[in-house]
Amino acid sequence: MRSASKWRLAWRNRDYYVLLIPGLLFLLLFKYTPLYGVLIAFQDFNIFEGIRGSEWVGLEQFHKLIQSDEFGRVFMNTLLISVYKIVLLFPVPVFIALVLNEVRLMFFKRTIQTIIYLPHFLSWVIISGLFVTILSTSGGLVNNIIQWFGGEPVSFFVSNDYFRSVVVFTAGWKESGWNAIVFIAAIAGIDQEQYEAASIDGAGRIRRMLHISLPGILPTVVLMFILRLGSVLDAGTEQILTMYNPVVYETADVIGTFVYRIGLGKMDYSFSTAVGLFNSVVGFILIVSGNYISRKLLKRGIW
Amino acid sequence: MTKRTKGDMLLDIFVYLFLITLGVMMLLPLVNVLSKSVSEEWAITSGKVGILPVGFQLDTLRQVISSSMFIRAFGVSVVVTVAGTLISILMTALTAYPLSKRNLPGISFFMVLFIFTMLFSGGLIPNYLLMRQLHLINNLWVLILPGMISVFNMLVIKSYYESLPEALEESARIDGAKTYTILFRIILPLSMPVIATIALFYAVGYWNDYFGPMIYINDTALKTLQLYLQDVVMDASAANAVNKSVDDLMNMSPEGIRAATVVASTVPILFVYPFLQKYFIKGVLIGSVKG
Repeated sequence: MRSASKWRLAWRNRDYYVLLIPGLLFLLLFKYTPLYGVLIAFQDFNIFEGIRGSEWVGLEQFHKLIQSDEFGRVFMNTLLISVYKIVLLFPVPVFIALVLNEVRLMFFKRTIQTIIYLPHFLSWVIISGLFVTILSTSGGLVNNIIQWFGGEPVSFFVSNDYFRSVVVFTAGWKESGWNAIVFIAAIAGIDQEQYEAASIDGAGRIRRMLHISLPGILPTVVLMFILRLGSVLDAGTEQILTMYNPVVYETADVIGTFVYRIGLGKMDYSFSTAVGLFNSVVGFILIVSGNYISRKLLKRGIW
Repeated sequence: MTKRTKGDMLLDIFVYLFLITLGVMMLLPLVNVLSKSVSEEWAITSGKVGILPVGFQLDTLRQVISSSMFIRAFGVSVVVTVAGTLISILMTALTAYPLSKRNLPGISFFMVLFIFTMLFSGGLIPNYLLMRQLHLINNLWVLILPGMISVFNMLVIKSYYESLPEALEESARIDGAKTYTILFRIILPLSMPVIATIALFYAVGYWNDYFGPMIYINDTALKTLQLYLQDVVMDASAANAVNKSVDDLMNMSPEGIRAATVVASTVPILFVYPFLQKYFIKGVLIGSVKG
């Protein structure tokens, strides 16, 4: 009886399901079909034979992956760059949001917001171009300043000592302002009466910032942090691809760029897919458990 | 109002100093490259160009934007961005609608199907092989079709639909309107702020995409602006010489050309950005506060 009424409800609303068809076809073709292609990680894939004709090798590609020195290095690079980005860059947007909230001059606030959101809309290629220009050894602004203070010019883009710093700094430059939006919204959601009550009790603005604004956005901060940890294996593939060169592979090659170089560069499809699958599985576990923790702790999650 | 304490004053000084420094840091690279693009060549190579241009000439910029490669790449990017944004926004706004009807039988299962793809993907090679099989390599459709729906954007639109009052649809239904009429006549017009925001995100995404074209496009005639720009930027820095891809500019300094190309490719975004700012901030707040 109940299931019959369910069918009737569905039939009465068939228009909705019809609307869903294009989206589902898209999913099937472009999202779920590649999942079938993951099988080649367990094969010695031959492009002429296809998945059905290629030889199955079980976990051989994964053995190769664990034993490969190169993969070990790439994995460490990924973790290092990602952890630097989290430690150094995660607090910045929170801080920006707190500081912006103290600005009373609306015109000033709007102007600053307009400026700090802007880099988010520039492509990585453009940002590489900007920083190649500003960090250039032949007349770049930064090296001019270094030389003015009597230092030696630094070739930031071809130095294994500096490349990671360039990656982390430019990532901060691009996204810090934009990432502050979530926290700005969270501050806007804090009950204004709390501020009024606190100032009647004699709390100065610094105290109100530390004891009302900061705790007020803490759940959002924790949620964003947990989600950020979920993408720890994504150190910024497109960014690094536009910036690096063979000289700095040693410190800059991350999983994403490695998959590209091995897969499409050296045509080692199976090995590259195995690396990619490893990446996807670890990422999946991290995100799902991060969301689980966030639901337990904060009663909030992305789904 | 309470009295301003010394601490409050110090805070004010710190706040303004910090934000001004931040703003300058964001603008400096842009100002520097803009100055380089219009400075005299000798000034660039001898490192005299800081914030203000040294001398003034528009020849480099003019040559860059009249180079046949630049024009072609720019055109390809415009076509992909316009077509891609239209298709994406239509697909996303339509798909989000049924998914916003939480009481429909089976709809939560379809939601799971969509969300799963946010968390797990086949990876580079399976995707590449699929595009090859579909004969989409070196076809501009490959830059549009696989990214038609961003599930994240769809969730933002969906949560906006859910925030619209239900009574609106009910009264339309009583007046005899069918699902499609309600969607196109009532829901979509009311959702314009969020749809405009998401359209902007899609447009920026298509315009800025580098990874997609790099993998799937190797036909020179189909190069997008980002691919062309990368050639200029990296060849000029690594080999310190201008590559054949900018053959019409052989007689100019690579530094100046690089700066001018970066400027010419940035201008479209700088131009659109202020007009859309108000929209996207509103839209983002709608999306993030709810989620």
